[in-house]
Amino acid sequence: MTRFIGYSIACLFGLPLLVGLAGSILPAVGLMPQLAPGNGLLQLFQDPRFWPSILLSIKTGLTATLLVLFVTVLTLVCAHGTRLWGWLMGFMPPLLAVPHAAMAVGLVFLISPSGWLVRLTSTVVPGLDRPPTAWVVPDSGGWSLILGLVIKEAPFLLLAAAAQLATINVDSSLKIGRTLGYSPARCWSRLVLPQLYSRIRLTLFIILAFNLSVVDMAVLLGPGNPPTFSVFLLSLVNDPGSRAAASAGAVLLAAGVLLVIGTVLVLEVLVAWVAGRRRESGHRGKALNAFRRLGQVLIASLLALSVTSMVMLLVWSVARRWRFPDALPSQWTGDNWLSRSELLLNPLLCTLTFALFVVVVTTASAIAWLESERFNKVPKLDWLWYIPLLIPQVTLLFGWQALALLIRADGQWLTVAYAHWVYTLPYVVLILAVAWREFDPGWNNAAAVLGACYWRILFRIRLPLLIKPVSQAAAVALAVSVAQYLPTLLLGAGRHQTLAIELVTSFGGVDRRVIATLAALQSLLPLVAFIAALGLPKLIFPTTHQSNASA
Amino acid sequence: MNAIKTKTSASWLCSLGLALAFTLPVQNLHANETDASWDKTLEAAKGQTVYFNAWGGSDRINEYLEWSAKRIKEEFDVTLEHVKIGDIAEVVGQLEAAKTVGRDTDGNVDLMWVNGENFAAMKRNDLIVGAFADVLPNTDFVKKSPSIEMDFSVPVEGLESPWGGAQLVFMHDTQITQTPPVSAQQLLDFVNDGGRFAYPAPPAFHGTTIVKQLLHELSNGHEALSKPVDDADFEAVTAPLWAYLDELHPGLWGKGKSWPNNAESTRQMLDDGELDIAISFNPNEASAAVKAGQLPDSVRTYAFDNGTIGNTHFVTIPYNAKAKEGAMVVANFLISSEAQARKANPDVWGDPTVLDVNALSDEDKKAFEAIDLGPWVLQAGAQILPEPHASWTGALEQAWLERYGK
Repeated sequence: MTRFIGYSIACLFGLPLLVGLAGSILPAVGLMPQLAPGNGLLQLFQDPRFWPSILLSIKTGLTATLLVLFVTVLTLVCAHGTRLWGWLMGFMPPLLAVPHAAMAVGLVFLISPSGWLVRLTSTVVPGLDRPPTAWVVPDSGGWSLILGLVIKEAPFLLLAAAAQLATINVDSSLKIGRTLGYSPARCWSRLVLPQLYSRIRLTLFIILAFNLSVVDMAVLLGPGNPPTFSVFLLSLVNDPGSRAAASAGAVLLAAGVLLVIGTVLVLEVLVAWVAGRRRESGHRGKALNAFRRLGQVLIASLLALSVTSMVMLLVWSVARRWRFPDALPSQWTGDNWLSRSELLLNPLLCTLTFALFVVVVTTASAIAWLESERFNKVPKLDWLWYIPLLIPQVTLLFGWQALALLIRADGQWLTVAYAHWVYTLPYVVLILAVAWREFDPGWNNAAAVLGACYWRILFRIRLPLLIKPVSQAAAVALAVSVAQYLPTLLLGAGRHQTLAIELVTSFGGVDRRVIATLAALQSLLPLVAFIAALGLPKLIFPTTHQSNASA
Repeated sequence: MNAIKTKTSASWLCSLGLALAFTLPVQNLHANETDASWDKTLEAAKGQTVYFNAWGGSDRINEYLEWSAKRIKEEFDVTLEHVKIGDIAEVVGQLEAAKTVGRDTDGNVDLMWVNGENFAAMKRNDLIVGAFADVLPNTDFVKKSPSIEMDFSVPVEGLESPWGGAQLVFMHDTQITQTPPVSAQQLLDFVNDGGRFAYPAPPAFHGTTIVKQLLHELSNGHEALSKPVDDADFEAVTAPLWAYLDELHPGLWGKGKSWPNNAESTRQMLDDGELDIAISFNPNEASAAVKAGQLPDSVRTYAFDNGTIGNTHFVTIPYNAKAKEGAMVVANFLISSEAQARKANPDVWGDPTVLDVNALSDEDKKAFEAIDLGPWVLQAGAQILPEPHASWTGALEQAWLERYGK
C-alpha cells in the first residue's frame, strides 16, 4: 500500500514531465499536424525576431546569472560575520517569498525616469522639474530585466549557500586560514568556496535555467521589440499557424539551457584547475578593507533596492494624486484598497483557492512520499524533483497545453491546479527531506515499544515534532502557487484570473495605483503565510519543543 | 498516430454537421424576425453563463462590464463572465485551432470584442455563428452610418453587433505644451525640437493606428487604402511613410528602440512628464482621467487638422459558442439605451454611443443629454478619416516589424 502510494505520486509527477516534453517535441517536428501545421523550425528561422530575441535571452540570462553568483560570493566574503550578515539573513527569506511579478512592478516604479529615485533626487537637485530622458524603463538592452533578476534570484542562491555553511564547518576553515596568514578574501576563495560551490551548484543551475527562460518578469521589465526568446515564443503559441514554430522554439530553448549548463560544467573543470594552481602558490594576499567596504555598500544598495521596491507598491497603493517631481503623493486615499474591492476580491479568491488546494495536497503528498521512502518502499529520487525546475516552464507548458487542447481539459480548474502541484512539489519534498532524514529514529522506536501504531506515531510523534519544517514547507508551497503565472495563463484558457495573471496582463494599461494594489496584495499573501508558519506551530502544539527534534 | 488521424477525419465530419446545425437556428430567427422568437431566445438564455472575451487592460472598462454583468443577471438571469485578454487576435487564433481539431461545440468563448482585421479573419474563416446582430431588438436604434455598416471596409452583414465608436485623438498638458503638433510634418518638427512623443510598437493596436494615420496623411489619402492591400502597389504607396518614420524614430522617447506598451501607458507617461503627448482611441478619455486623478486639470484633447482615423468596435459570437442565446441577450443589452448612456458617461467609461440618440424616446434622450464631458475632451468638429481596408493592418504591421522590430 505504501509502495503503491509512493509510486503513484512519482508517476503523477513524472508523467506530466514526459507528456510535456512530448507535447512540445511532436508539434515541433510536424507530428501533430492538426494542432500545429507546418514546419516549425523553418517558420521559426524565417521570423525576423528569432535571432535578436535569442541573443537578448542569452545576454540577459547569462549576465543575470553571473551577477547573481558574483553578488553571492561578494556577500559571503564581505558580509559574513558582520552586522550586515544578520540583516541579510533576516530580510532574504521574505524577499525570496515575494512573487517575481510584484517585485518587477515595484522596481519599475522605482527606477523609471519618473520613478521614486528621480523624484527623491529632485528634492535636492534643483531644476529637475521634468523626468530625464537619458534612459527609459524597460530599456532595449535588457538591463532593467537583468537588475530585476539579480535582486530576485540573489537571495535564493545566498540562502542556499548560507544553509550549507554550517555543513562545511566554515568558521573553523576561516580560522585555520587566518592562522596561516591568508587574507580574509583568500580564506574564502582558497578554503571555503571550493567546498561550497559543489553544494550550491544545482541551485545555480536552477537559477540559470530560470533566468534564460523567465516569462513574467521579462514581460514586465524586458524590452518588447524584440522581446526575450520565451516571451517571443509565448506570442507565437496562441496563434495556431505558429504553434509548430512555438513548439520548435520551446524545444530549442530547453536544449539551449542544457547546452549552457554543460558549458558551465566544462568551465568548472577549467576554473578548478586554475584555482588549484593558485592555491598551491601559497600567496597569502593582502587584506583589502576598502574592497570589503565597497562590497558591503553594493550589497546594502541591492538590499535597499528590493526593500524599497516593495515599499513603493505600498505607497502607490494608497496614493490618489502623485505627480512628478513630488517626493510623496499630494493626495492620499484608501479607495484603491476599499472601493475597488471587486477588482481585488475576485482574483484574490481565485488565487487562494489554488493556493490552499496546493498547500494541502502538496504537503500531504510530500509527506506520503517521504514516509514511503523511510520504509524503503521507494528509492530516493531526488533528481526527479529537480527536473521541472531545470526544464524551462515554457517547454513543459506548451506540451501540456497541446495535450489539454486535444483532450479538452484546458480551462478546467483541476488542470491548472495539477500544474501548480507539479511546480510546488519539488520545493516541498526537498525542504521536508532534510528534516525527515535527520529525524532521530529513537522517537519512533520508543513509541513503538510503548505499543503505538503507525498512524498514532505519525500524528502524535512525528508530525508534532516536525511541525516547524512542515509549516515552513507549506508556506513555500503557498508562495510558489501564488507566484505561478505561465501555468495559469496557458492551461487556464483565461478562465482563472489569479492575482499573477491580473497583474501581468493589466500592467501598463490599468491605473498604476490599481497595479500597485494588486502587486502589494500578491506579495502580502506569501508574507502572511510565512508569519503564520512561524507562529502556528507554537499555537497548535504549545508544549512540544520542536526545535530539538530535527537538530 | 493512426488512431489520432482516424479520430480527426471523424471529427471533421462531425464539425461539418454541427456547424450546419448551429448556424441554422440563427438564420431561422433572421427569417421570421418576431418578438416570439426573441422571447424564445430569452427563455433559452436563462441560467446560461456567457464567457465574454474582451480586452481587460482598462479598469474602467472592466468595472463597466462588472456593472453590466450585475444588470444582466438581475434582468435576464444570464451570468456574464468577463474573460480578460491582452489581444483578441489570440482568441481568433484559438478559434481557428478549435475549428481545425473539430471542437465545434461547447467552445470556451461565447462572446468576443472585435473589429477590423480580426473580424475580417473571423468572417473569412466562417468563425461566426451567423447574422445574429440583425435579430437583436435594440438594433433598430443603432445609427445608420458607413462606419457601422462597414468594419474597416469589410461589410458587417449582421455578423457583429456594434458596441461603441472610436477616434484617434491626442492629449497634451497646456501647462507644458501650448501649441501641440496638428499634422505629420508638425509632429516631426515637434520631436526634433525636443518634444517628447512615442507610440506603442505595432502590432499593438494604437501603434498600428498611428501608422495608418501617418500613412493616410503622407499618401494624401491614397485611394488604394480602401481596397484590399493585394491590389495595391504596397511599396510605392508606403514609401513616404517609411521615409518619415526613419526620420521620426531617433527623436522619440526610447529612441525608436523602446516603445510604450499601449496607449494607456502613454497617458500615464503624460501625467509623469515622460511624454508631452498621449494617444487615445477614446475622444472622451481625458474627462474620466482628470476626474479620477490620473491627469492634470490642464489637459486638453485634440485631433489633427485634417482629421484622424475613426472606427466602430463590435461584439460577435463565435461559431462554436456554448451559450449562444445568452450571448445574444448580452449583445442586445450592450446596445440598450441604458447600457449605452452609462458607457458614454466619462465617469464610467466615456465611450461614444453607437445609437442614434435622436431616434430614442425623450426619456432615454435625457440620459444622454445629461452627460457632462467637461472641457478636457475632443471638441466637436474634428473630421473622422476612414480605416484602411482590413487587409492593410497585417501588411503594415509586418512591414513595420521588419524595419523596426529587430
